[in-house]
Amino acid sequence: MAQLPPQTIQRDPQLFYWILFPITVVMVLTGILRHYATVLMASPPKKVEQPALKEQRSLMHGVAVRSNFHVLTAPSFKARREFLTTAFESGAYLKDPERRGQPPANPMTDPGAMDGMMGMMKNNMAMMVPNTLIMSWINTFFSGFVILKLPFPITIKFKSMLQAGVATKEMDPRWMSSISWYFLCYFGLQFVFNFLLGSDNAASQMAQQMQGMAPQAPNMFGPGVDADKQFQAEAENLAVIKHYSVLDDVEQRLLEGIKTR
Amino acid sequence: MTSSLLRPPGHLSPATALQLSQQAPIIIKNSPGAVTASALSSLFSAPETPELWTIYENLLLSCLRTGDEESAHLCLGRLVNRFGDDNERVMALIGLMKEADAKDDATLEVVLKEYEALLQENPTNIPIVKRRVALLRSIGRISDAVTALTGLLDFSPTDSEAWSELSDIYFSQGLYSQAIFALEEVLVLQPNAWNIYARIGELLLMSVKSGSGDQNDSAKQLGEALKRFCRSIELCDDYLRGYYGLKLTTTQLLNDPPKPSKQAESDGLAPPNLSTLQKLDGLATEKLGEITRRFTAGEKGWQGYEEAEIVAAKELLEKSSSTTVR
Repeated sequence: MAQLPPQTIQRDPQLFYWILFPITVVMVLTGILRHYATVLMASPPKKVEQPALKEQRSLMHGVAVRSNFHVLTAPSFKARREFLTTAFESGAYLKDPERRGQPPANPMTDPGAMDGMMGMMKNNMAMMVPNTLIMSWINTFFSGFVILKLPFPITIKFKSMLQAGVATKEMDPRWMSSISWYFLCYFGLQFVFNFLLGSDNAASQMAQQMQGMAPQAPNMFGPGVDADKQFQAEAENLAVIKHYSVLDDVEQRLLEGIKTR
Repeated sequence: MTSSLLRPPGHLSPATALQLSQQAPIIIKNSPGAVTASALSSLFSAPETPELWTIYENLLLSCLRTGDEESAHLCLGRLVNRFGDDNERVMALIGLMKEADAKDDATLEVVLKEYEALLQENPTNIPIVKRRVALLRSIGRISDAVTALTGLLDFSPTDSEAWSELSDIYFSQGLYSQAIFALEEVLVLQPNAWNIYARIGELLLMSVKSGSGDQNDSAKQLGEALKRFCRSIELCDDYLRGYYGLKLTTTQLLNDPPKPSKQAESDGLAPPNLSTLQKLDGLATEKLGEITRRFTAGEKGWQGYEEAEIVAAKELLEKSSSTTVR
């Protein structure tokens, strides 16, 4: 079987200076710019009002009592249970007791919730806008250039990916067009950013996309959650606990533990 | 050296604190004063670490303890530079500095007024609430301190630091059952804190000895104290205070057994029977002996105890052995 002669394409060495290098530099610079833009745009954590704080922490306290009831002796647990269930059921810890029983407010009208959404929007915009701009920039100026030959053989399937914008059927898939160099930078620059900006930078798009894909943790105190219902559920949880204590027979456990050692 | 700077300095012995504060000028000189935010210099300088600022905060506290206010001011200055003076934690440190600089009670009153003004603005500024409580307590307005602290715990009942402070204030006033209640809350939040178990045991024991509680209750209280000490040892099997308390309780129960009470039985807190008590007593004596012996011999890994506690344990052992001989 005759060996096919390797394809050679005479490339202007200037291609390297005027396409490959500018694309890379622009990508890196946009990443850094995006990082600082995100830092600047980040809104400081919103202050929690005292009643809201009380509502959250009281619920957490209830959860703590429920999960660590065994550290208490029977009488002190009973006292706490009675106190907490009455308080929870009567809604003593609620942020706004007048709104009990009403359906939760629409998160769209809640200014606090809007803030969170605006933050997300801002992040998305900071990611989308530069990407669109750079893509269109490359498409306008550099489309159709073959700028690079990969140093290793590659199967035909990669042709559509690596030679986007170059409509030459017979060309070896090892040849890369400028737009595919852009994609390579897009996915591969994360480590460069880690080096330049520290590991928790906002420059790399990949990390943000991953974040977007991960399922959102259920927000315990988020907007649209009915705190009253949570308190009622917690009161019920407390009420059904069958109490035991770690102090039961602790001296026997201790003596046996010492003996077996 | 640095490791003791990274942990909160409350546990440091006076000697260590003094040593730290003597090294403060060197540490301050060698640590970067400010971390620039510009991209270019961040390429070449070491990255900013949270440890740096922890070190400054702890160094500040150590310096204040030993009265080296010059270094303390330097530390505070750097913290303010980095975080701004509207950061809640930095605000508390600034207030602490003012308290340290205050020469008389009138100045302290001014600082107190400032705290109150800050709290008017933002009632959820927890570091400042805590500073205010500490200041009130230190100028002797105990009941105001308790009111402030219960106010804090009302809207933030998951703050174990505040609960244990409340317990300490109640204890200083001789209100044992309130102090125990507050410590139980700490345990609910930190279920494996062996020192808190032992502390509850100590409070129960003291409340029995002081005779403030109901006399019929002493069986229950001693029983609970015994169990608390046992749990403390179960969690940390070299805890000197746990063994010390266990020894005290068993001695008390053996020499002066309280009237058995129905209440204690029904709550499951009755003291155990005689043979168990004797075994526990033997265990505590043995372990206390081992700890004091190894500490005095300077064995490695046994030097973490406090000198005063060892001395107290020795005295207790001598006292008990002399009574058994007699």
